[in-house]
Amino acid sequence: MKSFAKLTIPYIVWMTIMIIVPMLMIVLYAVTVQGNDVLTFQFTFSNFIRFFQDSIFPTVLWRSLTMAFFTTLICIAIGYPMAYAMAKLKPRSQAIMVLLVTLPMWINMLVRTYAWKGILSNFDLSSEICVYIGMVYNFLPFMILQIYTSLSKIDENLIIASHDLGANDRQTFLRVVLPLSLSGVISGITLVFLPAVSSFFIPKLLGGGQYVLIGNLIEDYFISTGDWNFGSAISLIMAIIILISMYVTKKLDKEPPEVND
Amino acid sequence: MAKKLIEIKNIVKTFDKQVVLKGISLDIMENEFVTLLGPSGCGKTTLLRIIAGFLDATEGHVIMDGEDIASIPAYKRDVNTVFQHYALFPHLDVYDNIAFGLTIKKEPKDIIDQKVTRMISLVGLEGFEHKDVTLLSGGQQQRVAIARALVNEPKVLLLDESLSALDKNLRKEMQLELKEIQREVGITFIFVTHDQEEALTMSDKIVIMKDGDIEQIGTPADVYNEPINEYCARFIGDSNIIDGVMKKDNLVSFDDEDYKCTDYGFAENEPVDIVIRPEDIDIVARNRGLLNGEVKSSLFKGVHYEIIAETSSGTSKTVMMHVTGEHDVVNKEAHERISASSFMMDLEDVASLSDSEVIARANAQAWTDDEEDVSLTDISYDVNNEVGVYDCTIGTSAGTKITIKINVVKPRAVEDAENEESIQAFDFFRTVDEIKESVALDTDLIRWADAYAWSTEDNSRVEIWDVKYDFDDQNITEGLYPITFSTQGRELKIETTDKHEVGERVGLQWSPEDIHVMKKMG
Repeated sequence: MKSFAKLTIPYIVWMTIMIIVPMLMIVLYAVTVQGNDVLTFQFTFSNFIRFFQDSIFPTVLWRSLTMAFFTTLICIAIGYPMAYAMAKLKPRSQAIMVLLVTLPMWINMLVRTYAWKGILSNFDLSSEICVYIGMVYNFLPFMILQIYTSLSKIDENLIIASHDLGANDRQTFLRVVLPLSLSGVISGITLVFLPAVSSFFIPKLLGGGQYVLIGNLIEDYFISTGDWNFGSAISLIMAIIILISMYVTKKLDKEPPEVND
Repeated sequence: MAKKLIEIKNIVKTFDKQVVLKGISLDIMENEFVTLLGPSGCGKTTLLRIIAGFLDATEGHVIMDGEDIASIPAYKRDVNTVFQHYALFPHLDVYDNIAFGLTIKKEPKDIIDQKVTRMISLVGLEGFEHKDVTLLSGGQQQRVAIARALVNEPKVLLLDESLSALDKNLRKEMQLELKEIQREVGITFIFVTHDQEEALTMSDKIVIMKDGDIEQIGTPADVYNEPINEYCARFIGDSNIIDGVMKKDNLVSFDDEDYKCTDYGFAENEPVDIVIRPEDIDIVARNRGLLNGEVKSSLFKGVHYEIIAETSSGTSKTVMMHVTGEHDVVNKEAHERISASSFMMDLEDVASLSDSEVIARANAQAWTDDEEDVSLTDISYDVNNEVGVYDCTIGTSAGTKITIKINVVKPRAVEDAENEESIQAFDFFRTVDEIKESVALDTDLIRWADAYAWSTEDNSRVEIWDVKYDFDDQNITEGLYPITFSTQGRELKIETTDKHEVGERVGLQWSPEDIHVMKKMG
């Protein structure tokens, strides 16, 4: 085992250079102001004060969070019945369905979003609805696969046992199937909510610049305005919100232990 | 007389044209412990699932309390099941698992609490109420599963191989406990198992199944003492099952001896199967019993010894083994050696004699001075299709040669009319080294002597059971040695608390009621 432990060194080096260092730099940028020389940092909280003082930023933040929340909700509403139906199919059909669900992922997300831009331009829809369509379309497969996996792991005997104990189909679903598939729903939420809240190219492409989300703000400050310090501050606030939401989902996700037999 | 609770009428079940149940009819009484016993694939679990309502019968009816329940879905039946792997709900604790059925029925909370608590104490799980079911031991999970089913107060509890996942000691404990629980709650238990011991210990009624049919229904004592055929006798307990003939009422015969019995109602001279249970045979002094035998093996089983006694020997034939010294032919120029033995063969086999057969029978081989094998290419023999002695020369391409004799003989088979068996074998020639080098001497001797036994009844092959010889294979010298091949004789299994040595000559004794005569299966 000891010799295998050394195999993690390249990854650790990679992580340090590509993730930890940039993260630290974001923190550094967020607490300094523009025009600093590397040797004369000026620490300040003005970036954060600016964020919360200007009403536009919290509004965009709130919009991003509600957008991600409803995207997740719609994904559950569509994904759960779909996954449930898949898990009831014959094994062969199940494999085909999993393939069909994953098939769109073979094409780059950006390319697919451009395609949607073309399709949606034919209709007279509000930019908000277009963004929702793009979000749900892109993140739905993650939700379906997570729920499907947890549903297909449920022992058929548990359902038979539930019927045996007097539960009809509806009661069996509510009291046995749903609780046992909850862990899949929760990991689905993680996989949909987190990318949705920080997504920037979907609202940019499909919202036509009318529908600004937090991701677009960050992008603007880095690319257009060139105010890396303020952009970093927004990123940091986002990161903290994501961290908190991950903590909350983790708390909810007490995966039921496997059944021993 | 107990009331009929379930009437199973001519149930047929087919899966994809495969018939799993072939018309089962069975009555189950109130408060009865019924065991469906049979090997896997006999249809016992299918029958259980039809009663539970998880499967629909292709034909037939299940009538419970006078009402056909075919159209009643599983969740409305007054029947609960304990599953093979328990199928406990992993997201619920012990208490909530047991309360599941009552919660579904929306019983008031205080009633649920009262009933669940009573069940928990019935199965002895006090203190485990809020334990995670996945952390319980097998035995504890089993108890939760029983409590979860019983709390609904079903009229029938179905148990599907419910003890098979437990280890042996726990299984024994649970057998007693299950029986105790059944007595206490006073409902019908239908238990499915392939374990005859479980069936005998717990049941009021045993149903022995085979290939989708019922073979026998009876109390444990009935099926043990009076199995109706060989299948049931073998399935329930250890038995001596002997081919015999029913001479007349109360007189049965096997191995050419007549024995008194208490069975009657068979045709005169009808072939039958006879069961004598190992514990019913007593060992007495020689010539004091009904027949004599020799102890072949004795195994200590804890409380008793399991003794195998041979009461009549099988059919046997003795042949001579000619052991010769080294007879290699040396070819100095080619640096080769060759060896082969003369052999005897059956006249009938002459027609099919081939080069490779000659090499095999003569055990011919050639090798160089460096111990490299040399192939035998030059084989010449002129064997006529009649009895006689013929020369045969075997050689290599380098000219190394050996000449042997092929003795073509008419075999004299030994026929044993009593056993309806024949056995034949030939004298053979071998060198000292060949015998010393043999790793499985008995098998080699059978092969070398071409020993073969068959049934004179239907010509089927009979196994050579015993090879007897009186030499030490590691210190054998040149000479003639007799070897006896024999088939299995009559062997009886006996269970006794007395110790008997292997080789001891004993008498065997039983009383007429210990013999149980069954119709031949057919």
